[in-house]
Amino acid sequence: MKLQVEHVFQVSRDVLWQVLHDQTRMADWIPGCEKLEEIEPDRFAATMKIGVGAIKGTYKGTVQIAEKQEPSQYTLAVEGSAAPGFVRGKALMKLHVEDANVTRLVIDADAQVGGLIASVGQRFVSGIAKQLTRELLANIEQSLRSKPEATA
Amino acid sequence: MKPVSFDYFAPTTVNEAVALLEEHGDDAKILAGGQSLVPMMNFRLVRPTCLVDINQIRDLAYIHEKDDRLHIGAITRHRDLETSTLVQQCNGLLFEGVQLIGHTAIRTRGTVGGSIIHADPTAELPAILAALDGEVRLIGPKGQRTISWRDLFVTFFTTVIEPVEICDEIIIPKLPSSAGWAFEEFTRRHGDFAVAGVAAVIVTDNNDRCTDARLAITGTAPTPIRATQAESFLVGKSLTQTTLEEAGRLVSTEVEPESDVHATANYRQHLAGALTTRALQRAVERCLSRKDQREK
Amino acid sequence: MSKKAGEQIPGRTDYKWIGKSIPRHEDARLLTGRGTFVDDLNIPNVHHAAILRSPHAHARISKVDLRRALNLKGVIGGITGADVLERTRPFSVVATSPMQYYCMATDKVRFVGEPVAAIVARDRYIAEDALDLIDVEYETLPAIVDPEKAVESDAPILHEEVPNNIACHRLLSYGDVDAAFDQADFVLRERLVFPRYTSMPLETFAIISSYDHFRGGLTLWSNFMGPFIMHPITARALKIAENNLRFIVPPDIGGSFGIKTSIYPYLTLLGLLSMQVDVPVKWIEDRREHLLASSVQTDRVSYREVAVTKTGVVLGFRTKLYDNVGAYLRTPEPATTFRPIGNVVGPYQVKNLQIDADIVVTNKCPTGPNRAYGCAHLYFEQERLMDKVAEKLKLDPAEVRLRNFIQPDEFPYTTPTGGIYDSGDYPKAFQLALKTFGYEAMRKQQKTARADGRLFGIGISTGVDPSVSNMGYLTVALDPEVRQHPDYLPKSGAAETATIKIDPLGQVTVGLSSTPQGQGHETIVAQIVAEELELSPEDVTVIDECDTAKNIWSISSGTYSSRFASVGTSAVANAAKTLREKIFRIAAHLLKVDVEDVVFEDRRFYARETPTQSIKLSHVAGTAHWNPNGLPEGMEVGLNVTETFSFPLAHAPDQKDRVNSSNTYGFMVDLMAVDIDPDTGQVKILKYASVHDAGTIIHPKILEGQIYGGAMHGIAGALFEQQLYDDEGQCLTATLVDYECPFSTEAPKIDIAHIESPSPFTPLGSKGAGESSSETAPACIANAVADALSPLGVNVTELPLTPNRCWELLQSARGQTT
Repeated sequence: MKLQVEHVFQVSRDVLWQVLHDQTRMADWIPGCEKLEEIEPDRFAATMKIGVGAIKGTYKGTVQIAEKQEPSQYTLAVEGSAAPGFVRGKALMKLHVEDANVTRLVIDADAQVGGLIASVGQRFVSGIAKQLTRELLANIEQSLRSKPEATA
Repeated sequence: MKPVSFDYFAPTTVNEAVALLEEHGDDAKILAGGQSLVPMMNFRLVRPTCLVDINQIRDLAYIHEKDDRLHIGAITRHRDLETSTLVQQCNGLLFEGVQLIGHTAIRTRGTVGGSIIHADPTAELPAILAALDGEVRLIGPKGQRTISWRDLFVTFFTTVIEPVEICDEIIIPKLPSSAGWAFEEFTRRHGDFAVAGVAAVIVTDNNDRCTDARLAITGTAPTPIRATQAESFLVGKSLTQTTLEEAGRLVSTEVEPESDVHATANYRQHLAGALTTRALQRAVERCLSRKDQREK
Repeated sequence: MSKKAGEQIPGRTDYKWIGKSIPRHEDARLLTGRGTFVDDLNIPNVHHAAILRSPHAHARISKVDLRRALNLKGVIGGITGADVLERTRPFSVVATSPMQYYCMATDKVRFVGEPVAAIVARDRYIAEDALDLIDVEYETLPAIVDPEKAVESDAPILHEEVPNNIACHRLLSYGDVDAAFDQADFVLRERLVFPRYTSMPLETFAIISSYDHFRGGLTLWSNFMGPFIMHPITARALKIAENNLRFIVPPDIGGSFGIKTSIYPYLTLLGLLSMQVDVPVKWIEDRREHLLASSVQTDRVSYREVAVTKTGVVLGFRTKLYDNVGAYLRTPEPATTFRPIGNVVGPYQVKNLQIDADIVVTNKCPTGPNRAYGCAHLYFEQERLMDKVAEKLKLDPAEVRLRNFIQPDEFPYTTPTGGIYDSGDYPKAFQLALKTFGYEAMRKQQKTARADGRLFGIGISTGVDPSVSNMGYLTVALDPEVRQHPDYLPKSGAAETATIKIDPLGQVTVGLSSTPQGQGHETIVAQIVAEELELSPEDVTVIDECDTAKNIWSISSGTYSSRFASVGTSAVANAAKTLREKIFRIAAHLLKVDVEDVVFEDRRFYARETPTQSIKLSHVAGTAHWNPNGLPEGMEVGLNVTETFSFPLAHAPDQKDRVNSSNTYGFMVDLMAVDIDPDTGQVKILKYASVHDAGTIIHPKILEGQIYGGAMHGIAGALFEQQLYDDEGQCLTATLVDYECPFSTEAPKIDIAHIESPSPFTPLGSKGAGESSSETAPACIANAVADALSPLGVNVTELPLTPNRCWELLQSARGQTT
């Protein structure tokens, strides 16, 4: 399943980059993130509670940052499995300068869902994916607003 | 597949039910008709540790009319609506729409409250609620609150209802006697979830010009939506075929549906427009024929 | 319009029971919920199995740990792929592929839903709770699902032993296809895609397994339908002696349509589970499991080119095809490709052809027989091209068929591929179909509709309906050199056995070893026996259950490939005839007259000259049982006859890959008129006529039911159903919400008519008709939709024609985006 979303943040690109790579803040914006622990640099063990409506699962897996081209792009890979199945996503995250304090984040993602949720929950799958990306962007916004002092 | 094990309670009053929800919180689910919940439990997609069966709360099954509104108890079965002369007289749109829900067997068990709170993005009742600016009453430990449909639906399968609340009543305005209506949906098979559906209401003046238009679309968004552009376009116009087709075209530009195993986004978009035109045609016909009848 | 049954049988001018639609013996119990299905069997102390299935389409298994699961209260055992690898052998495959297929994934998973572990517990709920506690680690691998892409050099490989994912390849040539193409006035080509779908039986796989640890005997109760070649295959896999493996099939099976042939890997899995624990183990497959991991037909991409004269006569054809058998080549595949070899030219006089078949593995569920079994794929290709011929030559599509039919005076007709068509009159059946449909009037209606701007189309399809598979056909998948090898055991034949007995009080019981799934065998057997013995069907009790320990059976036994009405009824008819001779001889002996002078009426025998001196049938039966010394000299004691009927022309394939793949061949013609809604793309069937020649009709209502059911399966595949996978091999259709089986509300009315060309090869002249229009309906719909869209220049080459797809075809014709 391919997803493409973008969002404009009212911060400079450097600040956005920092927020996206600051490990103390990642737990804030990863959707449903209950626990985040570094395994090695740029690789984390994560516990994420995600879903829509009554269909929720606690997914245990990893979050990986790679192919960094600071400050303009990197890839974010997330995978997790739980009783309802597994989710796997790889996103190319591109940060475009719109203005000094305006940055457009373009997410080009390839997501895969498997297991129970994919076989019996087909009606919910694309909805959940969209929901997650919305949450992701809303969480980043929230994180920027609550701790505006994060600067390069 | 079999569900995970759960505790089962069958309260006989709303207060008992709310108390149980308070006690068990997030892990409790209400069992009404079970037509959506039970399959999800059997698939283990949903794993409540506790089921609060509200089917014994007799007080929650009723259809009353008061102040030009229909008050419908939350565990009223769809089948009760489709066999009710009161509903047929007061709200033809509701009467027509409810017959499109699944099959008779499903409608015999499924409830009005259950369907609306389940908030399936392709369901008929949420669209009807939207078309008619209906409301929903929720009861929790802190008391009751009445919410408009706009504030109720958040996204797919999600409303603002708290885990400790129960929906106890749906409030739907009567249709004006001068109104025409139609519910038009497209399904692959008889009784399926709609690929897309349109609830249309038209009111005209003595010169057959549109004075009010409601178009609620289901199946093209995470929640039911009102096609406000198309609605505004119709008001003040005489309802020729060209006008109705233009309204349909506007709806297809307003909606942004998803692709899934049943239909592509483009097809759904197109379908929403085509169904809008068809729904409007029937609504206009009804409007005119009701006028003729009144004039006799 | 249909002939009275029996008019063409030599010596019989009127039947009392055969040809009548008597009330079915099965219906009372089936319609009141009192059938006996596997789930109704009461086996004491039965426990329940649940299967953990792969969520990945392609992955290496690095760890499977059952410890937490086995510790759950109520769980008594479990197995993993390691147990399967150690204690079973891979299943025998017919074709030359070296791949290994077990009942459970061992080192790798290769399709979503593949079993990875299994648990036995006190009940199914606990067993499923235990599945959540199994720890599995996977290393995912890239997946491939498209059969054409799977053979490319950069495709992920499923089995190391199978390069390019080609499990089997055959190039079959008959006649002189190059010359045919040289001589042709025109050559037409199409690329066609036929989808994966199934027949969705109401009852899923059901198994109860019980192992006798003392004597090493395994009993498996299940709804297995045959062919019983799967019995030795299962025994071999489980490393137990064949006479220690007992298959029991209860009287009722809730539909199968070929699907339950492929239950045997699960029979093996359950057998292994019950060998580990000390209690019987039961598994009722749920619908999700069935949709993910039971059996479906192949999806196929084919390139067909047809060489045709300017008068529309087909000189020859070539087909290059890719049949996607899923993750494993599972016996009896590649039968989808080769089952119709004998009738691959259909009803046409084509003499030159070539088939280049690649049997490809991809990360999808393994395939198996599904109603029509290869013929729906075949006739889709065949009939689309016939319409293309008509289009090119500006001929009426009906005329093109008529110009190509095998003629009635050519029967029995041997096809270039070795098929021996026993009887038929294709032009006559076709004309009847045109008449039943009102072809000319419908064409006029089409003209008017088109002038109104409607998308109105008419479609035709014809097909030869093969019944009773010759078990040898599958060996066409092997190269001739392999078949020549001295160690090679050829396969051939098709047989069925029936036992009829009359008990001491004169009541008749028939025993069979078929495995009916609702086809009404008890009823038609009673009709046939009553006819021959001059009784009433109410007097005949039929026991149609299979127990390999008690029944007489062989590898071709079972109810599949529409065989019962052909080979099953033949065994019954012959046994009844033999039994009749015996009781008449006893009566003659007791009446002291010659056999020719004996008359039987109202259950009494009398000599023609002295009608008042009669003896009852019960007296005759009583003599055979109670007073064997009173029987004619030399006559065997008792009153039971067992006869096996087999077909003499069911040979193994010859050196030139020619084989009579079936034994009796029917014929059908489907005609449809459709209207396409330009806004929704929905196809509506306005009229549907179907003519069938199934030889002698034994029970018209049952035949009609078969035709309706077969047609609905074909319509389902053409308009509604498809087993869909995404590019990563995730199955998208594992519930009946997403796998869209049409309901009775979607069924059109069908105008059915028959002709009867009795088979010279069966005593009653009957042929099978269990698949019928499932073979031709998809082609008919495709042609009708193509006809509807032809003014817009749109071609139809792929199914299903869902509303979405039709709309996209319309959009592309209008030059608009989709």
